[in-house]
Amino acid sequence: MPSDQNLSADVVIVGSGVAGSSIANELARAGISVIVLEAGPRVDRQHFVENFRNLENKPSYQGPFPSTPWAPHPPNQRSPNKYLHTSGPDAEAYQQAYLRVMGGTTWHWAGCAWRYLPSDFELKTRYGQGRDWALKYDDLEPFYYQAEVMMGVCGPDPGVEDLGSPRKQPYPMEALPLSYAGQEFRKLIAEKTPWRIVHEPQARNTRPYDGRPTCEGHNNCMPICPIGAMYNGSYSVYHAEAAGATFIPNAVVYKIERDAANKKVVAVHYYDPDKGSHRVSGKYFVIAAHCIETAKLMLLSADEQSPNGVANSSGHVGRNMMDHTGVQVTFISGDKALWPGRGPLETNVIDNFRDGDWRNERGAYLVHMVDDNQVDFATQLAIAKGFVGRELEEQIRYLASHTVRLFSHNEALPDPENRLTLSTTEKDALGIPHPQVYYKLPQYTVRSCDHTRSVFRQLIHLMHGTDEEWTPGYFPQDHPAGSTIMGVDPKDSVVDGHCRTHDHENLFIASSSVFSTVGTGNITLTVAAIALRVADTLKKELLHG
Amino acid sequence: MADSKYLVGSILLGSALLSGLFTEQAYAEDAQQAALMARGAYLATAGDCVACHTRPGGKPFAGGLEIATPKGVVVSTNITPDPQNGIGTYTQEDFEKALRRGLRKDGAYLYPVMPYVSYAGLTDQDVKALYTWFMHGVQPVADKPPETQMAFPGNIRMSMMAWNMLAESEKPETGDSATYDKLRRGRYLATALEHCGTCHTPRNFMLVEQQDQYLAGSQLNGWFAPNITSSSTGGIGDWSEDDLVAYLKTGHAKGRSQAAGPMGEAVEHSTSHLTEADLHALAAFIKQVPAHDDAVEHQARDSFGQAAVEPDLRSGVVNRVDNQPDYSGAELYDANCAACHGVNGAGTADQYVPSLFANSVVGAGRSDNLIMTILEGVNRSTPSGHASMPAFGAHSDVQRLSDRDVARLVNYLTDRFGSGDHHVTAEQVGAARPRPSTPATPSDATKPVSAHAP
Repeated sequence: MPSDQNLSADVVIVGSGVAGSSIANELARAGISVIVLEAGPRVDRQHFVENFRNLENKPSYQGPFPSTPWAPHPPNQRSPNKYLHTSGPDAEAYQQAYLRVMGGTTWHWAGCAWRYLPSDFELKTRYGQGRDWALKYDDLEPFYYQAEVMMGVCGPDPGVEDLGSPRKQPYPMEALPLSYAGQEFRKLIAEKTPWRIVHEPQARNTRPYDGRPTCEGHNNCMPICPIGAMYNGSYSVYHAEAAGATFIPNAVVYKIERDAANKKVVAVHYYDPDKGSHRVSGKYFVIAAHCIETAKLMLLSADEQSPNGVANSSGHVGRNMMDHTGVQVTFISGDKALWPGRGPLETNVIDNFRDGDWRNERGAYLVHMVDDNQVDFATQLAIAKGFVGRELEEQIRYLASHTVRLFSHNEALPDPENRLTLSTTEKDALGIPHPQVYYKLPQYTVRSCDHTRSVFRQLIHLMHGTDEEWTPGYFPQDHPAGSTIMGVDPKDSVVDGHCRTHDHENLFIASSSVFSTVGTGNITLTVAAIALRVADTLKKELLHG
Repeated sequence: MADSKYLVGSILLGSALLSGLFTEQAYAEDAQQAALMARGAYLATAGDCVACHTRPGGKPFAGGLEIATPKGVVVSTNITPDPQNGIGTYTQEDFEKALRRGLRKDGAYLYPVMPYVSYAGLTDQDVKALYTWFMHGVQPVADKPPETQMAFPGNIRMSMMAWNMLAESEKPETGDSATYDKLRRGRYLATALEHCGTCHTPRNFMLVEQQDQYLAGSQLNGWFAPNITSSSTGGIGDWSEDDLVAYLKTGHAKGRSQAAGPMGEAVEHSTSHLTEADLHALAAFIKQVPAHDDAVEHQARDSFGQAAVEPDLRSGVVNRVDNQPDYSGAELYDANCAACHGVNGAGTADQYVPSLFANSVVGAGRSDNLIMTILEGVNRSTPSGHASMPAFGAHSDVQRLSDRDVARLVNYLTDRFGSGDHHVTAEQVGAARPRPSTPATPSDATKPVSAHAP
């Protein structure tokens, strides 16, 4: 169903999440014309809040977001599922959840806004592992700060609590006070271990900020902040629209068209929900469609010119899939009640294992004492123990107030064998193949997870813990990265240090898919920072080029 | 003021007004002059000059704020001591004429949106203090706001002469206003400075304040400045002096009401910076304003409602991301309000988030302020803290509610926590929405380089 609609802009962006919308906002504010194509629909907070309240399975982060047939996203983190098909020895460990809606996956995140450490960008040079990025921490520092202001990040005073990523400016907002559970855990770690607990930097308001209210600690950041105290990409969509950018929802991009020389991209093509096809031309193109969907689109655009897919002369599109595959344990503290579940989900971190000489043989990681409501876990445990009636109620109270949950983000390495390809059997309603990923956890990460388990055992012992329940195997953290990896050599990487594809001079990628390594901190702030750096490059070329 | 230390302390709180206060060291050296300056600064705060004479994000007193009036938009002027763009060339006599008689230095008549009929009540001594402070305490700003463009007959400034003959000005007070007894001081503050009547007193068809209905309530750009006479049914006769002091000082009298919109600004810029003694004087005066019953309100606005029994709305049904149901008022409340105000409407224990019952905004017979609070939110900073509710209007990042949704929500709120379903329609909400303001233009914006051009 061809369409006569022909759209054009200086910059065409695919994806309206934190990366795409913040680039659109920066460019539109500079007077540059922008069209953003979003595969999913425009959505409202009140809709997700009501879906969440009506949802029976509250811990299901994807639950309140049932996707459309034309822009399916993974319905849950289980394998097999109906969209993201995984295989290999650690198939379960690569079940990434994400959203295809206007504003992107930050509709459900915990707001953790870490900067990477300078060493995270130089893993090869410093520790002989993985790769170096084609940029340094200092290149990104100003954009980290710009991202923190845009999102509204609160964090500790760097003079009091140095998180290891040098800052030229303090955090835009004061750190979030620790919950009672966080304070007590912090005391324990300080008194009984050689480690420390730090305030986790959060894209969450500790005062009214940008027209949005202060966090009230509803404890359901994931799946949905009910009041807008936490950043999500929809704010950048609104701001970009106010500055003049055009956002087109339900526009599923399926082809990247290049010129005859295959040097420049000239247009992208999208389907509307009825499979009407539309062409959007421009001077510059940015793919900012999430790690999985970005690689999928590049592969999907394969044709005679580029039989392996767009920007894929290196063969590395879809390879080097990484995540912060973690370890999780839940147990009942034998010490006094911590009453978790009051305040935001993630507020405190043990950061001693984010860097060290041992990184030459095992991956770094960070530890969250996750502050989520544990009534669900406590109830199942109390019932399993055979309590009934009044005793059951007392046990639920006791167990819920004494439950401790620890989990880790462990560093992966880029391994070309860990690969995303297009499914040859599964297709969505528009006939677009589903993504599939082969995943085998690198030994570097396995050794890191072993170390984490030993630390968790020490903590359980310290707290006189019982009833420990280890989440089986390894579990995904929804921080996928690496599928269009950055590097200086066009032969083994897809984009350069400015996120420009080696193959096509006007095609940029703004996504965690460009990460050369994955560090330990949550990826979103780094995604926003590289996106703002892409916007800066585009502004320079369009305004002064 | 008897205690000048106290007075300077309270001025320090109004930091926006302070810029430049100490730049003129020569003046500060003279103790008498310093006292006059401090008095002038305090009076300017009490007169809330900054509210109209500063545009959002602009420099204090440099003007440029667009003020919607029933006759058209008036743009406030630069009243900094800049000689070209402000009032730098004004003599004290020129200043007095503008302030108390509405006459510009060039002889033109001011539009009465400038409350000179109120400021007419100022003593000579206080006019001098204000003049001294505006000339030496305010940073000159070399900005010229655009001229007011009114349609006929408003564009004929001479027509204001006729208006002035109809309008009744305050008579200048005499003596030293700092030595007045409590009620006289309160009256002086209410009439000559805070100009409460400018918004709260209904006007006749010539837009003249009807003094026989002093503070009996009036429309104000979508908001309603309510009846604050001592009527126990139509006004605030059930408020104590302490309630009023708390309201004027913090913007919130628990279990009664909270300030948003224009009153939120008045509290933020002016009344929250008054001395404790002045707050009590002002409250005492307002409390004895003759009762005026109300055509719409027949029971104290803050006397309605109670905590709701928690409704069970849980359906187990989850809708596709693109399929938003047609929400009822109860569902809209659940999705947008309950997280902060509670499922039962009781607010937080400390009432930082106020209850929706025992709340004048919900209990009022007129829905204007409820609609406007939902559309514009609350953003009020005082020395006591920052009160904040996100807006749900057309520029909200949190949730943009449609006219229909706002109407349903308002009717649900008044039915559950107020005096009954107000049957507000989507059309009424649409009419109340603020006219589209100019979108925030970033200062670093440049011209489009090449939109769609080769």
